[in-house]
Amino acid sequence: MEKLVDSRGSACPGPITDLSKAYRNSQVGDIIVLWATDQGVKADAQAWAKRTGNEILEMKEEPDKIVIKIRINKR
Amino acid sequence: MEKVLIVGGGAGGLILANSLDLDQYDVTVVDKEAEHYYQPWYLYVAFKGSKRKISRPISKLLKPGIRFVRDTIKEIDLDNKKAYGSYEVIYPYDHIIVATGTSPDPNVIPGLSQIYNQVGDFHSNLQNSRKLWNSVKNFKGGNIVFGMASPVCKCPPSPIEGVLLLEEYLNKKGLRSKTKITYFTPYPRAYPAEPMNRIVEPMLKERGIEVMPFFDLDMVDTENRKIKSIEGDELNYDLPIIIPPCKGTKIKFRQDVKDEDGFIKADKYTMRIKGYDDAYAVGDVNNLPTSKTGVTAHLEAKVVANLIQGIYDKFTGRINCPFDMGYGKATFVIADYENPVVEYPPSRTKHFMKMSMARIYWLTLKGYMDPVFDFYFEFTNPRKLNEKYNKTNPPKASSQPQ
Repeated sequence: MEKLVDSRGSACPGPITDLSKAYRNSQVGDIIVLWATDQGVKADAQAWAKRTGNEILEMKEEPDKIVIKIRINKR
Repeated sequence: MEKVLIVGGGAGGLILANSLDLDQYDVTVVDKEAEHYYQPWYLYVAFKGSKRKISRPISKLLKPGIRFVRDTIKEIDLDNKKAYGSYEVIYPYDHIIVATGTSPDPNVIPGLSQIYNQVGDFHSNLQNSRKLWNSVKNFKGGNIVFGMASPVCKCPPSPIEGVLLLEEYLNKKGLRSKTKITYFTPYPRAYPAEPMNRIVEPMLKERGIEVMPFFDLDMVDTENRKIKSIEGDELNYDLPIIIPPCKGTKIKFRQDVKDEDGFIKADKYTMRIKGYDDAYAVGDVNNLPTSKTGVTAHLEAKVVANLIQGIYDKFTGRINCPFDMGYGKATFVIADYENPVVEYPPSRTKHFMKMSMARIYWLTLKGYMDPVFDFYFEFTNPRKLNEKYNKTNPPKASSQPQ
């Protein structure tokens, strides 16, 4: 199942908190698509994926947002 | 007169009710409780044993002319503009505002409800905060694990405030050398917003509080006195202080407007419930990409009051969370949708401001402090503060003047 997490505008607590929440509600095989505007999300999502054993499929910067696509491999 | 129905007598609901022109609108506030609590003070009940009176009857916090009904709204039909209370009471409305806040749900995490009932916590209510103070007072040394059980929680600074005040208390009691404090968090660092973390993390280090990042609580093993994370780590405890996960509203909606945790999907600028122009979700109960705090409920309520009265307005995502750092110092977490969190240095003056808020709070609810707040919010505009303080992390390009 693909799930969109729109965290644009979130500065505090920030997109990483929305990602953690989506992860808690997800299952192995799900795809999480995270939208954010906070630049720090790129490094955070990478560190998070590495630590939790999940996979970043794509990370791209669009004019109005950063889009990160993550596959849940471990839960 | 148009009927305005406000469900919830918390900060958002009361400020909104008191901001409407009562010659134009027939305003009803419904809450299942009779008392309103100043929730930020739970922290001082739990870690300082404060006995300050922190509640007032909701009916006394409303301007004359506003109706208060003590009832539990069970269901809302947004298409037919009706809310259903207990005993088959039906509340028809022209405008509805759902401002029911969040509620703790310790049952989501195996083993947590036992901790919640035995040790207490400082987010749920006054009774549980007093219980936590008893647990803290009777603690004689050992391992303390401290953190939150879920990513979505009220007031992002409060877990860190709690651990810093606890450290101060143990230090004063002479128990600090006999105690190991571990702060766990599901995030990559102690404070999720990076600029504030640059202040928080050195402070935790200086006070000897260990940080365990990427620890997303999965279960509490009360038999072996351990907590375990989704990531597979374990921590032993003698005293576990864990903020329970919180959920949105239990009210049933005939329309699909809630997310999987019960938070209401609303527009981030107008707080209008998605798909409706006469229904709003204000404060902790909505799913806006901002902090769940009293100040956001306050500012959202002011915007909604204007929108109902036909005045153009929009919520900027402004947060202004007072952050007690122990030993008489505090700071504020300040940001909005366009500007990142300010690396705002702690000071004694800011601590004095946080303490003063507990006194002026009751006047704030009635709108008597509005001129002071208007001045304060302009004085601490996130863009201006970012230019002054965020030397290492300037505001992102899109938020700078073109």
